[in-house]
Amino acid sequence: MPGLVSYIIVSAALLGIGIYGLSVKRNAIRILFAVELIVNAANLNFVAFARYMNPPKLSGQVIVFYSIAAAAMEAAVGLALILVAFRLNSSIDVRKLNKLKG
Amino acid sequence: MVNLPTTPTDIIPFIIAIVTSHTFITLVIFPGFIHLTIVVMFLTWYERKLLARIQLRIGPLYAGGPGGILQPIADGVKLIFKEIMIPYKAEKPLFLGIPLALVFLGALPFAVIPFGQHWVIADLDVGLVFIFAVASLFPSMILIFAWASNSKYPFLGGLRSLFQQVAYEIPMWISALSVVMLAGSLNLVQIVDAQHKIWFIGPAFLSFIVFFIATMAELERLPFDLPSAEPELVAGWFTESSGAVFMVIFLALYMKLYLMSSLITVLFLGGWWGPTFLPQPVWFILKTLVVATAIIIPRGVYARLRVDLLIKVGWTRLLIIALVNVFITVVLVSTGMLPGLGL
Amino acid sequence: MDLSVPPDITFVVLTTITLLAAIMALQAKELIYGAISLGISFIGIAGFFVSLDAPYLGMLQIAVYVGAVVVLILFTIMLVRREEVDKDETGETGESAAGLWLAGLLAVSIAGIAALAGPNLPTTPPEANLPISQLGAVLAGAYPVPLIILALLLSAALLGALVLAKVDR
Repeated sequence: MPGLVSYIIVSAALLGIGIYGLSVKRNAIRILFAVELIVNAANLNFVAFARYMNPPKLSGQVIVFYSIAAAAMEAAVGLALILVAFRLNSSIDVRKLNKLKG
Repeated sequence: MVNLPTTPTDIIPFIIAIVTSHTFITLVIFPGFIHLTIVVMFLTWYERKLLARIQLRIGPLYAGGPGGILQPIADGVKLIFKEIMIPYKAEKPLFLGIPLALVFLGALPFAVIPFGQHWVIADLDVGLVFIFAVASLFPSMILIFAWASNSKYPFLGGLRSLFQQVAYEIPMWISALSVVMLAGSLNLVQIVDAQHKIWFIGPAFLSFIVFFIATMAELERLPFDLPSAEPELVAGWFTESSGAVFMVIFLALYMKLYLMSSLITVLFLGGWWGPTFLPQPVWFILKTLVVATAIIIPRGVYARLRVDLLIKVGWTRLLIIALVNVFITVVLVSTGMLPGLGL
Repeated sequence: MDLSVPPDITFVVLTTITLLAAIMALQAKELIYGAISLGISFIGIAGFFVSLDAPYLGMLQIAVYVGAVVVLILFTIMLVRREEVDKDETGETGESAAGLWLAGLLAVSIAGIAALAGPNLPTTPPEANLPISQLGAVLAGAYPVPLIILALLLSAALLGALVLAKVDR
């Protein structure tokens, strides 16, 4: 079993990939991919810390339990929003979705 | 564990030690690869014969031996020699790769299903949730396959199949929740152990009915057949598969049938318990075959149900019955009316 | 980090799968392949959970993320198809370079802080016995209120998504 540092590094790498996707991509669905990756990175971090504490506490796993459910909800609502935006603007390019009207 | 061979004379004892180890026997012979392959091929023959007798015909007759028992092998040979036609502009890697993934996912949960007290490949503490997780991957793979065929009948069939399977997963797992509460564990071996006095079909009868109906909907068997119905959608989501691709999908469907029948046996029919004049795995397989027969027979008897009514029934009626049974189980367990049942 | 310890093969394989699939999810030309890679990345994370003695969470991750979120994403991709949507080019080169700098800086700084604090963090996990029943006991015993709030939140999200995506005929 690797040390806790390795898990933090993996989680930081996933976070970096997610932030790259969030800031650079212009397709709204890719941005959703990036958001899910960031949430997963945080979940991994929680579970790693919960395991490596002495004695291991289960609260980390409980937080991840809620985080998984909350992220699923957020993905559902986010996708519904993307559908509505597509119907109104015929595009999911976030550079074009910059009007509040309509 | 065994020592790695260091000298050439060590190799044969090493191989013998591996071949007779428990892991190897359960993984490869029973309930592993060889047993799965034989039983799945037998199930295809069994279904055809059974349906034929219900419909007053004879079924497979000529393919070797009595009653055409080698018919599945004949089918396999025929399908391998057919040409695999890939539709225009279909996604080739997905089209060819997903059927293999379906077979893999159909066979994977067998790693946790116990065929006897020690006849289980992997005794996971979260066995039931593992099966749940793998079963939830099926609808998405069918959707991707249907989309990758780039043609409208498969796509519509794939969408309908996705709606149907997703709608019936929930009553299925809520009724399994009643069983988990009665047994006090998610471990399949312990669930069967807890049934040594009374099978769970007794206290959780409503759950059994809901789980059975939901299983028939998950497996897309008549009367829940619309996603693959001939007069409606040619053949549903696997319209464009021909030859070896169809054979692999066919195998995956029958693997799923065997898996769900084994799961019903484990959860409700007492797994391997039975009078001791027969060994435990034989009881298990007998019970599983009875359940598989009960799933196959409605195909020759009932008419097809419309898919939107089907989905409505799944989300409303079945869910409510499953929840009612969970409530009944909570009452039974907490007031201690069922002594000696774990927990 | 202790470099004399041989790296754990499970950890290396899972890291490679997860990170490569995450990069592919963002860089794949077609959105559907990106969604499939995202699903593979989630399975990698579930593998991490199982190796960290949280098997229930791993199975839940597969059932919820790969079984539901990826299906939703695939659905939406199929519903918003137009020829230009699937060709995903990033903006001008300036944007992607800035994004790489930002993400790289953030990831490297976090990793650097972790590595600097390395000697103070445990290298081997303590002996643990984390049965599933204990997880259930903690969930229902110590945190019952968040459980109920989560249920209400789920209903609200479900209704919201339904209302938003409804088509007025």
